[in-house]
Amino acid sequence: MDTRHQILVVDDDADWLDMCRDFLGQLPSKPEIRTAASGTRALALMDSQPFRVLLCDLKMPRMDGFQVISIVRRRFPHLRTVIITALGDPGLRSHAYALGVELFWLKADMERNPQMFLDCIESLLGSEEEGFRDLQNKNLLDVIQMECVLRNSSVLRVNSGPRAAQVWINDGQVIDARADGADGEAAFRKILKWKSGTFETLPAESNHVQTITKSLEAMLLEETLAVERSSNPTPAEEAAEAQFVRRLTALSYEGAEFLVTVPAKKEDNAKGWGTRDVERIAAWARRAQRTAQRIGEKFSAGPLIQAGGSNLEHQLLLLPNNGKTFVIGWPPEVEPGRMVERSKKLIETWDS
Amino acid sequence: MGFLSKLFGSRPVIQQLPSGSITVSRNGDVLTTTVSSTYPRALLREIAREVLRQFYEARQAQLALEELSLHFGSLRITARQIQGGAVIFISPQSAQTSAATANIKTLIPSKN
Repeated sequence: MDTRHQILVVDDDADWLDMCRDFLGQLPSKPEIRTAASGTRALALMDSQPFRVLLCDLKMPRMDGFQVISIVRRRFPHLRTVIITALGDPGLRSHAYALGVELFWLKADMERNPQMFLDCIESLLGSEEEGFRDLQNKNLLDVIQMECVLRNSSVLRVNSGPRAAQVWINDGQVIDARADGADGEAAFRKILKWKSGTFETLPAESNHVQTITKSLEAMLLEETLAVERSSNPTPAEEAAEAQFVRRLTALSYEGAEFLVTVPAKKEDNAKGWGTRDVERIAAWARRAQRTAQRIGEKFSAGPLIQAGGSNLEHQLLLLPNNGKTFVIGWPPEVEPGRMVERSKKLIETWDS
Repeated sequence: MGFLSKLFGSRPVIQQLPSGSITVSRNGDVLTTTVSSTYPRALLREIAREVLRQFYEARQAQLALEELSLHFGSLRITARQIQGGAVIFISPQSAQTSAATANIKTLIPSKN
C-alpha cells in the first residue's frame, strides 16, 4: 500500500503546474504531486483524496486563492496551506497569515532559493496531523487554560471541519459556549471532544450573558471521568462484546457470509452479523415462513424444517429453531449438504 | 365391524402426499404435471401459486432467488424459476429420506 503523502498544487498556469510537479518531485519523502487548474477542481480533488499540503496561487479566475484557503480552513482543518504568488503586496501576506496559511512564498523567491523552499515543504509534510492549531500552532485547551489563569477576557472562534463554535471567556472564566446547536456547558463539552481544527482569538464581549457557572477545572475533571467511564466497559458490556466477536469468528470460521436471527414476535428486533440488511432479510424471512406454513397446511406436510434459496450471488438457508428463525447466507460455491450441516453447527454454538 | 363403526363413526379421509413435478406459468396456471391424476388439481394449482409467491417475495426483498427448497416434516418441495414461471418438484419424505439432507442441485438440473 502506498503511504506517501500527497501534495496538491493549484494554479491556472499549466506551465507553472508542470514545473512544480517536476520541482516538488525532488522532495526527499517523494510525495505524490497532484495538480488542479482551478479552485473548484482543487476542492473536488480534496473531497475525494486526503492531501497533506496545499500549494495555492492567489490570482486565479472565478475563485481566487483566498477564497480557496477560506473554504479549506473550514472543511479540511488538517491540511497545511502554502500560498505561492507573483504578487508582492505586503497586505496580501498579512491577509494570508490571518487566514491561517502556514507559508507565503513569492514565485521569484522560490526560484531564487529552491532548496529552502523544498526544506519548508518537507517540514510541513512531516509535521503532526492531529490537534488544534491557531496561527502560532498552540493547543486550544492550553489557550483556554492560559486565558483563565491570566484572568483575560476574549472570545475564541473554533472550527473543526464543517463545525463551528464559540467560547466566551470573561475575566478568566469560561462563561458561555455555542456549538452544533448547543449552548452553555453542553456546547463546551462538545468542543472538548473535537479532536482537531483551527481557532482564532476575537475581542472580548463584556456584556455577554453568562450561562456557565462551573469552573474550567470542574468541567475538565467531569469530562475526564466521563471519558474514563466510557472507555472502561462494565462486565456485561465486556461479555456482550466478547460474544459478538465470538459469533463473528464462528461465522467466518464456518465460511458463512452472514447470519440474521428473526424473533417470532414482529415487535422484537432482528439481529444480524455480517450484513447491514438485517431488517430487509428479516422481513423476507417472516413472509417466506408464512407462505411456507400455508403450503405445509394445504399438503398436511408437517412443520417447516428448513427453507432455502439460491441465486448466482449466494445461497440462503432459513432454519426455525427454539422460537426464532435463523437466516444464514452462504457463498454460492458451498455444497448444499455441507451448508445445512455447517448451519446447524453454527446455530448450536450461537447461544452457548 | 358394525360394532366398531358405531363406536368410532365414519372412516377418516386420508390424503396421500403428492409426488412428481409441476410446470407452472407466470400466471400460476399448471401447464404440465407428472403428479398422479387422482390428486386434486385445485390443490396443485394452489401450491404452484404459493411457490410463485415465494419467488415474488424474495424479489421484493431484493434477493431474487432462482431456486427454492422447502423441507417439511413429510414433504420436500424444490423449485426453479423459469421465465417468470417455475418447475416444481414434490417428493414425500420417509423416515430415511428426511434424515438425509437432500441436495437441491441433484434434484434440479443446472442451468449450465
